[in-house]
Amino acid sequence: MMIKILIVDDEKPICDLIDMNLSAAGYFCVAVQDGLAAIEAVEKNNFDLVLLDIMLPGADGYDVMEYIRPFKVPVIFISAKHEVKDRVRGLKLGADDYLIKPFDVTELLARVEAVLRRYNKTDKVIMLGDVEIDMEARRVTRSGSPVSLTSKEFDLMLLFVENRNVALFRENLYERVWDDEYFANSRTLDLHVQRLRKKLGWEKNLVAVYKVGYRLEL
Amino acid sequence: MKFSRKLLLWTTIIIAITLGLSGFYFVNYVFRTSLEREVGQALDENSILRFAFQTAALNVPLKYDLLQDGSVEQIASNLETSGQGSGRLLRLSDEGKEVLYASDGFEADAALLEQTAENRYAYRVIQEGERYYIQTGSSVNALGRDLYLETLRDVSQVFAERKMGFTVYRRLMVLMLVLGIVIMHFIASRLTKPIRLLMKATREMAAGDYGYRAEQVSSDELGQLTQDFNHMSEELEKTIGQLEEEVQSREEFVGAFAHELKTPLTSIIGYADMLRSRKLDEEKSFRSANYIYTEGKRLETMSLRLLDIMVTKKEGARLQKVSTETLFEYLRNMFLPREDMDFLFRYEEAVVTADASLIQTVLVNLIDNACKASESGSRIEIEGYAVEAASEEVERAARGKAEKRKVEKGKAERTERERAEMTGYWFGVRDYGIGIPEQEVSRVTQAFYMVDKSRSRSRNGAGLGLALCTEILALHGSRLEIRSVPGQGTTAGFFLWEEGKEAAV
Repeated sequence: MMIKILIVDDEKPICDLIDMNLSAAGYFCVAVQDGLAAIEAVEKNNFDLVLLDIMLPGADGYDVMEYIRPFKVPVIFISAKHEVKDRVRGLKLGADDYLIKPFDVTELLARVEAVLRRYNKTDKVIMLGDVEIDMEARRVTRSGSPVSLTSKEFDLMLLFVENRNVALFRENLYERVWDDEYFANSRTLDLHVQRLRKKLGWEKNLVAVYKVGYRLEL
Repeated sequence: MKFSRKLLLWTTIIIAITLGLSGFYFVNYVFRTSLEREVGQALDENSILRFAFQTAALNVPLKYDLLQDGSVEQIASNLETSGQGSGRLLRLSDEGKEVLYASDGFEADAALLEQTAENRYAYRVIQEGERYYIQTGSSVNALGRDLYLETLRDVSQVFAERKMGFTVYRRLMVLMLVLGIVIMHFIASRLTKPIRLLMKATREMAAGDYGYRAEQVSSDELGQLTQDFNHMSEELEKTIGQLEEEVQSREEFVGAFAHELKTPLTSIIGYADMLRSRKLDEEKSFRSANYIYTEGKRLETMSLRLLDIMVTKKEGARLQKVSTETLFEYLRNMFLPREDMDFLFRYEEAVVTADASLIQTVLVNLIDNACKASESGSRIEIEGYAVEAASEEVERAARGKAEKRKVEKGKAERTERERAEMTGYWFGVRDYGIGIPEQEVSRVTQAFYMVDKSRSRSRNGAGLGLALCTEILALHGSRLEIRSVPGQGTTAGFFLWEEGKEAAV
């Protein structure tokens, strides 16, 4: 069953942006541009997640949040309001996360993933060809036989899997996996990618993108 | 030391010195006069005794030519006893100043006698033990003898009185001082009360309570100072309030600006990231690129508008005499070719003092807004006419008149007399569009404020147009007047006032 996500933002370009990315990641998205429409949509449909802007015509994000709380739908606020008090207010109202504009698409995907995982709405086991990944147990098997991966290798693999067909930038990968600054001549990433290719048999799938980084093509 | 204490101390010192000096002088004065009186009496007594002695000497039987020493003693003894217990003390000495007769207790030395000569009195005050005497001396001629008579008069009483006077005066002074201190304490604390109240007020204000005012308790210089201080505080509070307001509005502006900046940036960054990291089909690539373009344009519009506002603020207006004909001709050329709206121009010819390009900017903005608020093809009226006097009431009346004038169309021509009296000119733009909700009217001139965001976005609005207009009109000493009925339309416009009547002609 496809996961349904409601996108609420008064800016059409941003709705489209989120829609395009989430759709590509395999979610079903509906976008509305004002608060009242958002409330109506939540009442009528059974969404798995709501991405909610705060500055909205009709009813603002906080009001919408207040109103849809009884539906127990997970909510991530996406707003340009970056002050701590705004974030705290959003989270205190019962939101699961708060993302500040401008945001990075990979971060948005990761946060969506994380919230959905918390609500047990994602599949815990992903099948990719002959590779089976158990996210909960952090266990990987290839053609039935277990593959042993280091913690960093697993994280890196997860990032590629979550962003299938998306070129991931080196600096981005370093930031997300190693929590570290990117050093131009560092070979760490390349070594890890090479090991992943070998262990999972992804020599052809995990391709290097010139001047960018790597992409998992499936 | 506290001011009131100082005041108290100095007053006390001055009271003590004055009381002390005056008391000392007074007691001494009384003493001196008493003593002089006593001296006079002592001398009188001496004279009396002298005459008594001479009289007695004449009565002595004339056995000898010369008065005998024995007779002298006899007469002296008689004189002493005739004093009837008044304690008369006398001494008689002969020519050689040898004592012939002395009363008991007459123990003064002979120093005075040395000064006594014939026909010359002498006196002095002497002390013997606890007692004081006035000793007088004179010469007595009796029966061919030159004798010397000395008397003693007891004046201890005078000295005792002086001593007593001092004692009484000391007590009185202590009493007066205590009383004075108590009274002065109250007076000083009363006098310095305004100072203390002012002190408290300054402390309260320093602690951040700018609304605190010192209580005024007197009408003297200190009271005046309190008044001035309070006046200063009021001005200060006003200024602080203004500054705070300014800071707040600036913060709001920065917040709104950040928001307005982030929204297009989010799209630009997001779509650019998609384009560089994904294989997108042609349709999606185009959409992404288009979004980047339009959002970029939005940023451009916003930055240009902001720049306009800043430049306007900085450079100010170059006010010149401008014919309204020129202004409206410019607008006609700009808008009449547009087919999508029904523009109607109606204006009077006049000369106004303004920066033509800035006023054109305002009018273009107002007309743009009117277009944005209206359905395609609806009517936009642009009007201009002179008004008479520059007071608020007349301004309001003028607006009412504007409504009336709309009904009776085509009365553009005015008489020469009217023209000479006019002092202002009204520019107005009227649309029959969606209007502005009442509670939003006051906010539309705020930067980045948009009544209907998605609507103005779709028409390339940045929410800065009216903010710019407000800025420009402020340079002309005018402000934007907006009257709107939701669903029926909006009239937005402004007056340009001329300073003198002749300036407008």
